[in-house]
Amino acid sequence: MIPIEPALVNTSEGIIRSAAARIGGFFVFWMIMMTELAVKNLSFNYDNAPSLINNLSLTWPIGDFSLLIGPTGCGKSTLMKLLADLLQPQQGKICRQGRVGMMFQDAGEQFTMATPRDEIIFALENLQVSPQKYPARLDYAVATTQIGNLLDQEIVTMSGGQKQRVALAVLLAMNTDILLLDEPFASVDPEGRQFLIAKLSQLQQAGKTIIISDHLLDDYADVVQHVFSFSKQGVTELGEAEKKQLFQPSPQVYGHFATEVETSCFTLTQTQLTTNQLILDQEHLQLAKGKITLITGKNGVGKTSLFRALSKLMPYTGNISYEGSELSQLKARTYLQEVAQVFQTATDQFLRVTVGEELALSKQRRNAFYTDKRIQQVLEEMNLADKLDQSVYTLSGGQKKLLQLLIMLITNHRVLLIDEPLSGLDAHACQLAVKLIKENQTALQQSILIISHQTRLLLPICDYHLEFANQRLVYREV
Amino acid sequence: MNPSLKFILVLIISLEVSVKMSLTANVVLIIGAIIYLLFQKMPLLKIGRLIVIPIPAALTVYLTLAVFTAHPDQYSGLSLASRVYVYVLLIACVIVNTSAATFARSLEQNLHLPSKFAYGVLAALNLFPKIQQAIKQIRASGMMRGEYLSFWSPMLYFKAILQALNSAENLSQAMQTHGFVEGQKRSTIAQVPIFLSDWLSFAGLLLIITYLVWFFN
Repeated sequence: MIPIEPALVNTSEGIIRSAAARIGGFFVFWMIMMTELAVKNLSFNYDNAPSLINNLSLTWPIGDFSLLIGPTGCGKSTLMKLLADLLQPQQGKICRQGRVGMMFQDAGEQFTMATPRDEIIFALENLQVSPQKYPARLDYAVATTQIGNLLDQEIVTMSGGQKQRVALAVLLAMNTDILLLDEPFASVDPEGRQFLIAKLSQLQQAGKTIIISDHLLDDYADVVQHVFSFSKQGVTELGEAEKKQLFQPSPQVYGHFATEVETSCFTLTQTQLTTNQLILDQEHLQLAKGKITLITGKNGVGKTSLFRALSKLMPYTGNISYEGSELSQLKARTYLQEVAQVFQTATDQFLRVTVGEELALSKQRRNAFYTDKRIQQVLEEMNLADKLDQSVYTLSGGQKKLLQLLIMLITNHRVLLIDEPLSGLDAHACQLAVKLIKENQTALQQSILIISHQTRLLLPICDYHLEFANQRLVYREV
Repeated sequence: MNPSLKFILVLIISLEVSVKMSLTANVVLIIGAIIYLLFQKMPLLKIGRLIVIPIPAALTVYLTLAVFTAHPDQYSGLSLASRVYVYVLLIACVIVNTSAATFARSLEQNLHLPSKFAYGVLAALNLFPKIQQAIKQIRASGMMRGEYLSFWSPMLYFKAILQALNSAENLSQAMQTHGFVEGQKRSTIAQVPIFLSDWLSFAGLLLIITYLVWFFN
């Protein structure tokens, strides 16, 4: 609400201002009154799968910022899709008043048009917004999310974080009353994340209802009013004490990392990478052999492109040598059996239909470390042991990531390029993933490069820390 | 010219050209189309590609009719071979200065096609670069797990189709969350107008070309 300065109350300007504040306040109140979101006796299951949501009744606080937490695969995404009217429940009722907008886990697959401007036009035309009102809505959405420089860029060429900014801009232009955000920050850098959470908090203060699911709890302590915990038993709201406990700041990790590489698997010399602009211009760099290196850097800086170049999916200029041979001279077919990438999107990795078939394929070329016994043990830890006949596409976002990591750890490789292994994983699954990566590396002496923003969890297992900024990769001591 | 009018014009001309053999009309159309493409600042390399790629098709047609036949006929060989170029270059003229989005909007606004159809086509077009990327990625994923998928491997396309189905479902949900409801009225923010000059050039070009096609060999 707009604060009123007492000194102004009696002047004409003051009267106008106070009236504006009252109207503004009334408007927020009216908006909240006209909005409702509740579920009653809701049950849902996917075809042939056990019930995911069972007789759930819940009323969402309107005009507030709510955080939804819970383990991977418990049904958070499904509940959000039900609330957004994208899925129909088998039983129960959903009361929905006011316009609901949703942001998806998979940043790339939420746009119909090629560019942000066209997408915003498409959405506003759907809502029958007049051409006269369009410029103001566009300007507001663009200014709030700061996507002015991206407005006419093709969405396919953007990084995960940029796409999520655009997705938020579309919802802002649409002026939805309720914003459902399903793990929207899985691939967003810490700065981008802080920026978006602050924007969402401002929107909530302006009367919007925000419901967000996330596994990483940083930056929420001061902005959320409610935390709902989702489990097999149902959904419960956390009390004040539990909330406080949940948001306890975790200890900062201070490591000390080497900056000199002894033996290298990759050497970059006068290397340049270009997408639609120059992203890497590296004079000289060695990547350590038999070690774990964490690569951090802002969204869109070119981290994934570096991995694409190292796995021969993207051309480069200058030199990149792998074990003394020029990368461009090596045959992809043999090279990729030694050097593999664990993609950011899990489904890109899958080649078969069911979980069991994926595992069987990996077992054909497995390393000595992954015996049948170990595979079974890890599957149980991942809660995937009873899902062998399930299609990989129907697993939850987190389960897909875990399975993807497992099939790549089983396969015999000397170098693994792991892109965002922890995105979409709950705290328990994160720890498991980190542990498995470390165990593999120790047992097989693999060279592992990891891209992630989650330094707190990953730095303890890393030997080197590379920072990607200003078109250069530089080793950091902390 | 308005994209829909241009599309209809090209459609009519293509039909006329395929019904009646006219080398003169074909040559005029080919030269006209190239001049138009140059005028629209299409890079020379791209124009070159448009001329080189159809060579096998055009040459086959020419050789069949003008050389390897009991009654070789230079005229029909040349006019049918040049037809291949007429089609390719006219289609290039339609897409050279029209984005997929503008074309979809024009279909919806000018030809009053259902918006579901217009945007469905558009969404599918936007999937193309994704599918290209996916095929490259699937091949690499295969190699990373010791499975070599050649370009004629059914597994490659099976997997690509699986992914496309998955994307299609996500896409329809995406359209829905951005307010798209089948059959519901939509407003028009990005207008694709038809000017008088569009109609005049449409009628003028149609008359001239029809005259050329039917009265010149």
